[in-house]
Amino acid sequence: MNTATLNNYTLIIMTDDKQVVLERILQVTRYRGFLINGMTAKVNTGNNIATIELFVSSERPISLLTDQINKLVDIKSVKVDNNASMQNTA
Amino acid sequence: MTDSKPLTGGGLLFKVLEQHGVNHVFGYPGGAIMPIYDALVDSNVQHFLCRHEQGASFSAVGYARASGKIGVCMATSGPGATNLITGLADALADSIPMVAITGQVPTAAMGSDAFQETDIFGLSIACTKHSFQVSHVDELEKVLHQAFEIALEGRQGPVLVDIPKDVQTASVKQTFAAAEHLKNKVKLPLADISKALDLLTHAKQPILYVGGGVGMANAVDEVREFANKTGIPSVSTLKGLGALDTDNENYLGMLGMHGTKAANLAVHDCDLLIAVGARFDDRVTGKLDQFAPDAKVIHFDIDTAEINKRRAADAPILGDLKENLPLLTMSLNIKGWQAKIQQMKSDYSWRYDHPGENIFAPAVLKEVSELMPKNTCVTTDVGQHQMWAAQHINFDDPSNFLTSGSMGTMGFGLPAAIGAQISRPHDTVIAVSGDGSIMMNVQELATIKRYQIPVKIVLIDNAKLGMVRQWQDLFFDGRLSETDLSDNPDFCMLAQAFEIKAKQITKKSEVTAAINDMLDHDGPYLLQVKIDAKDNVWPLVPPNSANNEMMESA
Ligand SMILES: Cc1ncc(C[n+]2csc(CCOP(=O)(O)OP(=O)(O)O)c2C)c(N)n1
Ligand SMILES: [Mg+2]
Repeated sequence: MNTATLNNYTLIIMTDDKQVVLERILQVTRYRGFLINGMTAKVNTGNNIATIELFVSSERPISLLTDQINKLVDIKSVKVDNNASMQNTA
Repeated sequence: MTDSKPLTGGGLLFKVLEQHGVNHVFGYPGGAIMPIYDALVDSNVQHFLCRHEQGASFSAVGYARASGKIGVCMATSGPGATNLITGLADALADSIPMVAITGQVPTAAMGSDAFQETDIFGLSIACTKHSFQVSHVDELEKVLHQAFEIALEGRQGPVLVDIPKDVQTASVKQTFAAAEHLKNKVKLPLADISKALDLLTHAKQPILYVGGGVGMANAVDEVREFANKTGIPSVSTLKGLGALDTDNENYLGMLGMHGTKAANLAVHDCDLLIAVGARFDDRVTGKLDQFAPDAKVIHFDIDTAEINKRRAADAPILGDLKENLPLLTMSLNIKGWQAKIQQMKSDYSWRYDHPGENIFAPAVLKEVSELMPKNTCVTTDVGQHQMWAAQHINFDDPSNFLTSGSMGTMGFGLPAAIGAQISRPHDTVIAVSGDGSIMMNVQELATIKRYQIPVKIVLIDNAKLGMVRQWQDLFFDGRLSETDLSDNPDFCMLAQAFEIKAKQITKKSEVTAAINDMLDHDGPYLLQVKIDAKDNVWPLVPPNSANNEMMESA
């Protein structure tokens, strides 16, 4: 890990507001090797869609995580916010 | 059920199971699932009482894998539910469609540390494809339909439905409404085959690398057609065995840690690797950066997340294999490469000479392969016997070789064989087990007895946790630690206690007659094959080595 580059990413996840969807996202994120640096989450009670902003970092390419989050049944979309994501060296 | 008796959640469960064509379920009752077991009495679904919930989960897996239908298991809350977890994890890792039903304490008691309450819903997150907890009986019908849809859709997997006891007893009306389809399915990009065609037509030394996805995509015919028409030499993963025609002159057998020398060398030398329903597992690749180091990769898969996960694909082709593979099926001129492959295949073919009177397990399994009837389904446990079965038995379809591939779960073989036999009552089912593994679900001998399931058990008995012993000998300076099983029970007496015919053999001269006796017997049979504790599985790609650096002896 010493010379590895930790990249920071911001993910914007839209999901149906279903049971344990937040736990599922957090579990996948940890399991696939991404550190969670912060998050915001809110539900639009009108359409029951939740928007989750997830700030993560990892040496691994972000597609490894977005592909896996995308497979969760309740997820509507996952986007990497390129403006917010930035690189720094650990 | 009398029509006047109102439908309950428990009754609805079986009505929906029947709608999905489920005839058989595997399970074990208990307090929090009693209303469902009460409703079972009135249903047309046949229930098999296993003797441990792990056995029920593996029987459901075996049922699904042998028949292509969904496997269903059920258990009570708390310990019943946690006992299903190994089977769920195994089904997730091997992409097996399964629905697990668990009873839960009543909704009012949930979250109060009630008797036999465990958060199986929380526990399920890491070991299922998806899970549900039904909080109101009006949701039950829809949730059950969705569970079936999710288990079977795309890359298949296990789905758990946790049903609180009050939901099971509540009155409900069946709506027969068509289940609302999943709206959030992963959208696959249209397959771009032009790049793949270009790679294929320019390749001089291509290899077809076939995995478990082929059987699950129902694409065995397409893959064989591709192998025949193109003439591309082929190799298989553990889970892909059966997909390719073992008589094809360009088929090299299994690759990877215990793969054939020819398969591993051919893959190492290839300039194009066509991965079909395979995922570059570490047991296949050995040291990843030295796996097929000079090859471009065409990767067919149904799961976007497998593309570029362990090995970058030059041409990824996402989607249904059955539709996509024929687009690349054409004749090629690779005669020189084929000649080299066929030479390797004959130079490195299996040898069955083995000095002395002691039985040589590979030769036994080869003989089982030759004597077993067509369409026999073989299951295995985990260890040396598993690798020998994979190496020396020929399978004509992936549904005829059931082994715990990704998880490598000891205890899989016996209950999986029970499930397989129930799904295919007219086919022979053989469980190849080890003296360590069989003890992990040995209680399922009682299930065999109760339902007179005619499973044949070939117990390869080295009185050791042989695979671990082999690694201790090779990689831990021979320091044997907790791998001796010389105080095993008398396995024949054990089988007989469950009214299973049993025979022990110790000498080469006894093998043929014993296999025939087993295959000719109508009921269940245990054949205990005593072998030398020192026999090793060869070849072996040592840890952190490239596949062309395999060891062939100690
Ligand atoms: C549930 C479980 N626990 C532990 C292991 C580790 N393990 C892999 S092979 C093996 C030995 C299996 O012994 P046996 O069934 O006798 O097979 P053999 O290798 O002797 O043929 C063990 C302990 C495992 N795969 N699964
Ligand atoms: Mg053993």
